[in-house]
Amino acid sequence: MKVTPLISILAVAAGFTLVGAHLAIWLHAPVEATMGLVQKIFYLHLPLAWWAMLSFFLVFVGSVGVLFRKTASWDALAGSAAEMGVLFSGLALITGSLWARPIWNVWWTWDPRLTTALIMWFVYTGYLVLRTSPIPHAKRRILCAVLGIVAFVNIPFVFFSTRLWRSIHPSVITSSGGGMEPEMWQAMGISLAGMGLLWLALIILRTRQILIQERLDGLWAARL
Amino acid sequence: MPRLPRFLILAHKDLRLMLGLGLGLVQTVLLGLLIIFVFSLSLPVGETMSGQGAAAIFWLASVFGLVLLFNALYHLEEANGVRLGLLLAPISPTTVFVGKALAGGALLVLAQIFFLIGLVVFLGQSLYGQWLWALGLVLAVDLGLVIMGSLLGALSQGQAARESLLSVILFPLLVPLLLGGVKLGGGLLSGVSIQDETQWMTLIMAFDALFAAVALILFPLVFREG
Amino acid sequence: MTQSDPELVSLNGVGHYFGQRLVFRQVTLGVAPGEVLLVLGPNGAGKSTLLQIIAGLLTPGSGAIDWTLEPGEIGYLGHGTCVYPFLSASENLFFWARMHGMTPAVEDITTVLDRVGLKAAALERAGTFSRGMAQRLSLARVLLLDAKLLLLDEPATGLDTASRSILDQEISQARARGAAVVWVSHDARRDVLLADRVVVLQGKGQAFLGTTTAYQQWWCDA
Repeated sequence: MKVTPLISILAVAAGFTLVGAHLAIWLHAPVEATMGLVQKIFYLHLPLAWWAMLSFFLVFVGSVGVLFRKTASWDALAGSAAEMGVLFSGLALITGSLWARPIWNVWWTWDPRLTTALIMWFVYTGYLVLRTSPIPHAKRRILCAVLGIVAFVNIPFVFFSTRLWRSIHPSVITSSGGGMEPEMWQAMGISLAGMGLLWLALIILRTRQILIQERLDGLWAARL
Repeated sequence: MPRLPRFLILAHKDLRLMLGLGLGLVQTVLLGLLIIFVFSLSLPVGETMSGQGAAAIFWLASVFGLVLLFNALYHLEEANGVRLGLLLAPISPTTVFVGKALAGGALLVLAQIFFLIGLVVFLGQSLYGQWLWALGLVLAVDLGLVIMGSLLGALSQGQAARESLLSVILFPLLVPLLLGGVKLGGGLLSGVSIQDETQWMTLIMAFDALFAAVALILFPLVFREG
Repeated sequence: MTQSDPELVSLNGVGHYFGQRLVFRQVTLGVAPGEVLLVLGPNGAGKSTLLQIIAGLLTPGSGAIDWTLEPGEIGYLGHGTCVYPFLSASENLFFWARMHGMTPAVEDITTVLDRVGLKAAALERAGTFSRGMAQRLSLARVLLLDAKLLLLDEPATGLDTASRSILDQEISQARARGAAVVWVSHDARRDVLLADRVVVLQGKGQAFLGTTTAYQQWWCDA
C-alpha cells in the first residue's frame, strides 16, 4: 500500500478550517437574540448530523459494491463509514441534547429528525456489532452488506413514521433554524466544510487501516 | 397425496417440529404473557391502562416472540448440517425464505391470540367490537415482521449469542412498523375507529411491499453463506 | 468407465483461498458417470473444500468449474448427516424426497430403510440414533434421492464393520447404475480397491491424478 500525503493534507486543512470556523462562530456571527450563547452549539450540531447522514449513505454504497464485486475495499469503506456515522450521529445527538435542555427545557423530545437520528444510531451500532462478531471473513462481508442495504432502505420509513407520529401529538416546539443572519450562515458554512474535511480524512484513514488489518490477518494466517 | 408447493412442505415440517416439541411456541407465549403481566404492575391499583400503552406492550411482546421464533426456526436447520441438504435440493433459496416466513407467521399469530387474552385479563382492555379491523391491522404488521424476521433470522443463524445479535439488529429496523401498530392498535383499544388512518395503513403496506422485494433479492446471498 | 460419456463435472485450474491463506491451486479434473474417484491427502489439504466446490456450495477463488447436472442431482454424505433429530427416520426420508420433488409411497421408504438395516427403527426419532445408525440413515437418504453424483466426505466415520460393508455395497451399486462417486477417504489402502481413479491433494496443489494402478505405482515410488 502506497503512503500518500493525502490524509496529512486533509487533516491539516481540516484543522485550519475548524480553527477558522471557531473564529467565525465566536467573533463573526452575532449572538442569537432569544437563545443566547447556547445557540452556538448549533454550528457543531448541524455539520455532525449532515456528515453522519452522508456516512450512512456511504455504508449503502459500500454494501452494494460488495455485492457486485466482492473486494475488500468496498467492505472496508462500508465499515469505516459506519463507524464514522455512529460517531458523528452520536455526537450530533449529544450536542442536540445539550442544546435542547436550556432551550426546550427537556433533554429529549419527539422531533422527527431527532428520533430518526437516534434510531439510525441504534441501527448502525447494531451493524457494527455484526461486523465485530466472530464470523469467517467472506461470510461476514456478505452479511454486513445485506444489513447495510436493509438499514439504508429503512431510513425513509423511520423518518416518515416518526413524522406521522408527531403530527398527531401537537408539539410544543416549532422547528428551529429559521431566520438566521447571513453571518450565521457564513460561520455555518465554514464549520460544515471543516467538519467535512475532518470526516473525509477520518474515513480514508480508517478505510486504509481496515485494509491493512485484513492484510496482516491474512499474512498471519498464511504463516500457520 | 397431491404434490404440495415445496415452501408448504418446509413450513409444514417446521410447524410440526415447533409445535410437536413445544420448543418455540410455549417459550414465546410464556415470555409475552410475562411481559404483559409485569407491565400491569406499572399501574396504580384500580386504574386501567390507556389503549396506546396496551398496544405498545402487545407489540413489544410480539417482537420478543418474533426473535425467539425465528431463532428457533433457523436453529432447526443447523443440526447435522441439514442446511447443506436444503442447498443441494432442487429448490431456490426463496422457497426456504417463504417457508420460514409462513411457519413463523403462523406461530406468531398463535402466540398473539394469547397476548390478546393477556391484554384483556391483565390490562383490562377491550376491542369495542372492532375485531375485523384488529385482525387486519395485526396481519398487516405481522407480514412486515415475519419478512424482516425471516431475512435477519437467517443472517444471525449459526452465530454465537445469536438471540442478542438478532434483537439488537432487528428491533430498531422494525420501529416504523411498531409505531404504526401502536398508533392504530391504540386507537382500536380506545374504541376509536381507524378507518380514516390511511396514511399509517399506506406506510405499513409500503414497508411490507418494499422489504418483501429487498428480502427476495438478498435472502439467497444470506442463506448460501449461512 | 466409458470415455465417451460427457463428464458430470469438470474442474479447470481451480484454486481456493481462505482469506489470504492458499488452500490449493491448479486442480484440474473431471468426473464421468459410472466412475469412483478417490480423494486422498493429509489433514488440511483441502479435501472437504474441494468437495464443497464440486457441490457448488463454494465458489472457487480461481479457475473454472462446469456441471452437466441439474439441481438436486448431487447427493452428499459427510460429517453432517442431513437428518432432523426430532423427526423419525421415515419422516426424514419423506421430507427430503418431497423437497426433491418426489412423491414416494410408504413401501419405497421401507425398502430403502431395509437396505441400510434400519427397518425396525423406522418410526424412531433420528436424534435417539447412535452415530453409526444416523450415518446409515444419511446413506438411506442419499440412496432414496437417486443422485447422479455422489459426494462422500469420509462416509465411514462412526460406521461399524457391518455398516461399512453396506456402504461399500451401495457404492458399487451406484457405480453400476451409472452414478459417479467422489469419495474423500482416510483409509486409502482399503478404499482404493473400490475406486477407479485417485486424486491426491498435497503441498497446496494436485500431487497426483490417475488410475488406481498408477496410484499404487506412484505411492511405491514416493
